[in-house]
Amino acid sequence: MPDLQFTATINGRKVSRNGKPHQRLLDFIRDDLNLTGNKEGCGAGECGTCSVFVDGVLMKSCLMPLAKAQGKTIETVEALAKTGELSVLQKAFHKAGASQCGYCIPGMVMAATAALRANPFADREEIKERLGGNICRCTGYQKIFDAVEMARDVQNGSLPATALFEDEAEEGDFIGKNIRRIDAPSKVSGRLKYAADMIMPGLLHVQVLRSPHAHARILSIDTSAAEAMDGVEAVITSADVPGEDGFGVFVNDQPVMARGKVRYVGEAVAAVAAEDPLIARRALGAIKVVYETLPAVFDPDEAMRPGAPVLHDYAPDNVTKHIPIRVGDVENGFAESDLVVEEIYSTQPIEHAYLEPEAGLAYVDHDGVVTIVSPDQNVTHHRHMLARIIAKPISKVRFIMSPVGGGFGGKEDMIYQGMLALLAMKTQRPVRLVFTREESIVSTAKRHPSRTVLRMGLASDGRIRAFQMKMLCDGGAYGLSTEGVMRKAAILAAGPYVIPNVKIDTIGVYTNNTPSGAFRSFGALQTAFATESHLDICAERLGLDPFQIRRINAMRDGALTHTKAKLGSVSLTRALDAVEKASGWETGAPVSRGASRSDLNSDEIRPPCALGARFAAAEKQEAAE
Amino acid sequence: MARKRGRGMAACWYGIARTAVIDRAAAWAELDDGGSAKIVTGVTEIGEGILTVLAQIAAHEMGVKPEHVVIGDNDTARAPEASHAGASRQTYMIGNAVALASREARKRLVEVVADAWGVEADTIRTGNGEIWAEHTNHRMPMGEAVHLSKSRGVVPVGSASFGTDTTGLDPVDGSGRPWQAYVFGAQVAEVEVDTITGEVQVLGIWAAHDVGRAVNPQGVEGQIEGGIVQALGQALMEDYKLTDGRTTTSGLAKYILPTALDVPRVNSIIIEDPDPIGPLGVKGVGEPAMVPTIPAIMNAIYDAVGVRITDLPATPEKVLMAIREKEQRNAMQA
Repeated sequence: MPDLQFTATINGRKVSRNGKPHQRLLDFIRDDLNLTGNKEGCGAGECGTCSVFVDGVLMKSCLMPLAKAQGKTIETVEALAKTGELSVLQKAFHKAGASQCGYCIPGMVMAATAALRANPFADREEIKERLGGNICRCTGYQKIFDAVEMARDVQNGSLPATALFEDEAEEGDFIGKNIRRIDAPSKVSGRLKYAADMIMPGLLHVQVLRSPHAHARILSIDTSAAEAMDGVEAVITSADVPGEDGFGVFVNDQPVMARGKVRYVGEAVAAVAAEDPLIARRALGAIKVVYETLPAVFDPDEAMRPGAPVLHDYAPDNVTKHIPIRVGDVENGFAESDLVVEEIYSTQPIEHAYLEPEAGLAYVDHDGVVTIVSPDQNVTHHRHMLARIIAKPISKVRFIMSPVGGGFGGKEDMIYQGMLALLAMKTQRPVRLVFTREESIVSTAKRHPSRTVLRMGLASDGRIRAFQMKMLCDGGAYGLSTEGVMRKAAILAAGPYVIPNVKIDTIGVYTNNTPSGAFRSFGALQTAFATESHLDICAERLGLDPFQIRRINAMRDGALTHTKAKLGSVSLTRALDAVEKASGWETGAPVSRGASRSDLNSDEIRPPCALGARFAAAEKQEAAE
Repeated sequence: MARKRGRGMAACWYGIARTAVIDRAAAWAELDDGGSAKIVTGVTEIGEGILTVLAQIAAHEMGVKPEHVVIGDNDTARAPEASHAGASRQTYMIGNAVALASREARKRLVEVVADAWGVEADTIRTGNGEIWAEHTNHRMPMGEAVHLSKSRGVVPVGSASFGTDTTGLDPVDGSGRPWQAYVFGAQVAEVEVDTITGEVQVLGIWAAHDVGRAVNPQGVEGQIEGGIVQALGQALMEDYKLTDGRTTTSGLAKYILPTALDVPRVNSIIIEDPDPIGPLGVKGVGEPAMVPTIPAIMNAIYDAVGVRITDLPATPEKVLMAIREKEQRNAMQA
């Protein structure tokens, strides 16, 4: 197809350039104009971080073919603070602490700007509805609503502009003060460069060939046709790894690219560096991999049975890690209990869904140092591992952290940095890899799905006499953080309660599912779901208030934990007292008493969501006029 | 009434910093020309606001303003090791390391200035970009003090490492000292369940969390609010689905995340029970904030409609099915 002669007004300047017919407006803005303030988060119009104004209307630029923007007036986030001074709304985001990782924020600021343009008096519920097309994974949205309300009030004159200034700190005492985030101006303006926003002279673009099979032997990989393609600089497979191939967090069981066999759908098999991403993508199609599929296992119970397919030779029973905790004798504890309750709890795998998909650059510098720039949650450990993988001294390996657009544990794994290093070494040119959202979802770790059998014995006065838990987790195809997750889950499983008899087993198992790994709260979430649900079941049976049963069993200052560690000060009862008081909790056993309780519907909750709030508000305003 | 309200609560505890291994972090500090300050450490800002927290700590300890603190980028070839961004550890580990390094840099400067003024070093105060001696007329801007120090051949620098006194777990009974700092918390959730559609809306959360000492309360609230909403996603809607190892939820159109319309009002209560070991008393909050949320929501659903969801997520289909089953059970008993 011929190039597109594209003309538009972008951020007040007339732009006339050749565009490619396959380009989206987002590609043209970011790649051709280097206006990288607006980001790509999903490529499907779901997250809103690419939001721009087209003829004044908020649009998701990932959904707009370039040709559709012909002749239009386009504003990106860079237009909002063009003189360098932030807009009132951007200042309000700064003041309210509305940005965290910042990756969604350019789109959020655009959507919020559109909301206040549409209705300068929008109330909080209308603001929520107008921001409904933009996803933020960090903030929980609350401070974003606060910021938009603050900007609205400053714009309307009901709040002085000084409300946006830094609070005063007396006598240089800056601890305990709401100092505005020092990185917020760069985030609300789109000035902060994440890895996918960075370019280098001579940059090559990387694409990754991924396994279509959950479990298969690789009989052969033929890269010759791909390597012969015009614009392809290098193709790599596991044969290009010069050192000891393997990464992980606790056990280095995952090769940089599949070595001999693939163990999950989406596992990297080969990678290409080419002059542009399209050529690299086409080259992937020219790599010929012959697989022999193997029996696979997808259920952790089945994986532990004799005769199940084995994923890793070192773990013939497919057990990645088993953590036991033992205190006293649970059988005695159950025998002396007045109430014994058993229940099964299960949790699903969860995607981190940080707004920034994985991205990174690599180059070999003038001193021969292999340098990786990526949003990496553990540069220290990754430097060690990469040095071993590429067989270089640690002084010749350098990791630079680029701004992290959300991590939550998902960027602790060295899932792609090895490929970048190998391609930079092979081509001696800078290389860049940017994951698509789909690639990020299929190839990176999830929160461990779990199945927990919990048995608790209690005396009639509510004291827990015995606690027995067995949690089985699907760790997927590689170890990653499974060992650590099992450990933390076990240590915290029985909750902050004094229990004389405890038996806890957490077991992580290999399967041919997407690997599980580190995810904010690291196993504690799964066990707490079980234990804290269970306590309410027991409280109902014993006629105890949920706070009461927890206070009866609460660890106090100097308590011994279930790992026999001696605690100092224990703030649990302070937290219980504080939240009970703040919420105005009405005491009573948890017997489904919602219909009769009097503590509901205070002014500290939000109204239930009723779609159409903004139309209702508009009608009300019309009626008033 | 098709829509029923209920409340539930849950408690939590959490260990701060890496588990069952000795954790460590280092930092370099310098009182720099013009009275600014420079911190170099392998810190990873993943959105929680750690750079701002470190700037506040450095400013507080060295007597400058936070906006005059420059924090070097995390670079394994240029910055001292501060280990990873995880385990709710950065404020605890790196914050304490920065405090210690800053104190050392300040001490160097103060000794020179005290000598120049002929006063005892312990009478010197610093704050907000100034240095002065108590009960005297001696006072100068920090920039002049740095110039004075350098003119006497002393660059005011400091470095520090902060480590934990922890052990591994016994492989048989799990005994050990996995952390030296623990935090505790509790949350109450209020929900509304639509008994016709099965949809659950979380309207309010009250969250009380011990953070040791809140360096930036707004940042702590941000962690609590964000953690709660992530947990809400797992409680009610998120589900990475696999069929024979192949996902059917590979994009954000199918993998459903909480939006602005799904989130509760979060009422945060910050509790400060200072850590007695570190120099600052800080602990952490990033992960514990999301631990009690799911059971609090499930307990609230039970309170509202009498069904106990033990298999996450509590989707409308699942809640509706449980309500129907309960109605059938009740009908059979009647």
